[in-house]
This record gives sequence, structure tokens and C-alpha cells, in this order.
Amino acid sequence: MPLSDPGFFGGGLLAQAVLHPVLVLVLCIVAGIGTFLLLPSRREPATRKIGGAIALLALLVLGAVLFRWAAGSAASAPDAPKLNPYFWIFAAVTVIGALRVVTHPRPVYSALYFVLTIFSTAGLFVLLAAEFMAAALVLIYAGAILVTYVFVIMLAQQSQNSGDQPLAGLAEYDVVSREPITACAVGFALMGVLLFVIFDRPGGLPPSATGPFDTRALGETLFSRDLLSVEVAGVILTLAMVGAIAIARRRVPVSQADRLRETQPPPQVADNPHTIPIYGTDNPRQKAYPEA
Amino acid sequence: MNELVLQHYLAVGGILFVIGLIGFMTRRNLIVMFLCTELMFQGCALNLIAFGAYHGNLGGQVFTIMVLVIAAAEASLALGLVVLLFRHKNTLDANAWRELKG
Repeated sequence: MPLSDPGFFGGGLLAQAVLHPVLVLVLCIVAGIGTFLLLPSRREPATRKIGGAIALLALLVLGAVLFRWAAGSAASAPDAPKLNPYFWIFAAVTVIGALRVVTHPRPVYSALYFVLTIFSTAGLFVLLAAEFMAAALVLIYAGAILVTYVFVIMLAQQSQNSGDQPLAGLAEYDVVSREPITACAVGFALMGVLLFVIFDRPGGLPPSATGPFDTRALGETLFSRDLLSVEVAGVILTLAMVGAIAIARRRVPVSQADRLRETQPPPQVADNPHTIPIYGTDNPRQKAYPEA
Repeated sequence: MNELVLQHYLAVGGILFVIGLIGFMTRRNLIVMFLCTELMFQGCALNLIAFGAYHGNLGGQVFTIMVLVIAAAEASLALGLVVLLFRHKNTLDANAWRELKG
């Protein structure tokens, strides 16, 4: 049965699909090839640059198609809510940053590109009227989690032979990817299916009535309707903290002499000020310790 | 917020998730692998927020708070494990632990 048949996938929705399935397929294959070339490997740096350019091209085509559709739909229904123009900037920075997180051979740079992705995702949250979540995202991810990551990178990353090559000083496991072809095929197949399903169905559930949507309303919801989830979150965080300390602590060998010294009472210290001799002055009044 | 806006945000979330998935499958550095799981969390959180805004209620944001909590817990535990594994074999290579395969 051909894909354009009205009976396929129920009810002729494909005729109105925004992204033609062939276009989605071609875009995913092109982006998959680009990502495969961009992934860290022992290829020439020029090859990786070409791969990045191919992936960027696929992203641009996808963005252009979606932009044309959004502009056309905004022109046909002028009173409908439109996409914020900042959406395109934030979305592009998010996706490119994520691609660099995955493909940069140096872990510290990966972490920094991840911060970039976090900030642009926070921008997308602000566009969706979730200001509190944007602030929480920046605080928790860029503030707390990333610092932990960078600390662990600095603790565990040993630098090897340094030189002038672009991949010098990197361990072998950072330079060579594991199964890049399979991973790109599986990942971009999934992406194709996702994009196809997302843009296939015009007119799903109608949006329900919009309630108060600010941080105050979020707090009231959290502490009235979703109180149990807040408590569960607290328990999970406590458990994670205890577990992390228990996992990562190191057993330090203590010698017998150290243990004996710890158990003995500390030696008596002469702390009576009157027994402290005072030197360095000829004035006998100053030699007396001032009382009270 | 209408259907059109929702679909664009869902597309960005899906792309973010897939990129994180590819990174988790290809990278061999344990730290970068967990960084890629955080990318996948980002994609999920973006989808939740978009759906919450689309339906006009706060359920999506409450779910996203839970996602952030799980991400923080996962990061602390996973990085503790990474430090532990690094002390054992003195490498961050995930292939060094391939005898753990079933």
C-alpha cells in the first residue's frame, strides 16, 4: 500500500501532513551521515568538519520547512497564537549545542556545550510561560549538576601525551566512538518516526481552559494538590545524598599508633594566664597580669 | 497556544532526546555518557512543559520538577559510581567493564 493512500494510517491525514514522509526520511539519512562523520574518531579533522556541515544543512532544511509552514499558517489565521520569533534562535542553539555535547572529543568542552544547551532550553521554557522552571533549570543544572560534572572530570581525567595535534592529550576512549554507524541509524530512525508522528496529526486534543499560570499558582498547586510528590522528591534527594556519600567514600587505612593517640586523653595544657611569663618590658607594672 | 506551537516544541524536545540517545550509545567516556542522559532528560522536560502550556494547567511543570529532582539524584549517584569505578581500573572507559555483560 503506498504511503499516500488515504486508507493508510487511518483517515487520509497524510494528505495534510506538514512534513512529507519522504522528506523526513531524506533529512534523517542526511543528518545521520553528518552526525556519523562528526562523531569523534581518528578521521581527518576536515572530514569531521564536512560531517558537521552536512548535519547543519539537514537542520537548516528542517527549520526552513517548519518556518515556511508556521508562516503560512499564521498568514491564514491571523488571530491564532503565533510562534515567538525567539523560538527559532533558542531551538537552533539548543540543537547545535546538544550535537556538540555528543560529538566533542574533550569532556570539559562537552560539559560547557551542555551549559549552552541548558541556557537555551531555559529560554524555550520562558517562551512557554514557565519562568519558575527556567530559573530552576539554570540553578540546578548549570549551577549544581554541571559543577559536580566538572569536578569529576577534573578528578578522573588523566592527561596523556601532549602535543600539537587536535586530539593530543586525549585518552583513546574519548577519541574513538563505539558503534557509530549502528547508533546513528537507530537514533535517526527514531527521530524520523518521532518527527513524522508529531507533524502528522493536525487537530488533536483541543486546549482546555487556561488557568492562572504564574509561579504563585505553581506553588499553590505544588503544596496543595501535589504535596505527596514534593515529599517523595525530598525523600529521593535524601536517599541519593546518603547513597552518593556511601558509594564514593574511601576507606583510609589508620595505623595502630594513630588509633592509640586518638583514644588517649589530650595532654594537659597550662592555660592559667598567671603562669605565663611576660618578657620584653622594663616597666614592672606591665609584668603583672591585668586582673579582671 | 495552539497546535502549531505545540508541535514545534515537541519536535525540538524529540530531537534533543534522540541526540542524547546517540551520544549515550556512541561515547565511551562514562562521564560523557551520563551527560548525554541529562540531554535526554532535557528533551523530556521540554515536552512536559510544552504539553502543560498547551493544556493550560500546571501538571507539566510539576512533572518537570520531578524530572529535575530525579536528574539531580541520578547525577550525584552516577558520578559517585564513576569515581568508584575510576578508582578500581584507573580509566573512564566503559569498555573496561565489558565483563559485566550478561
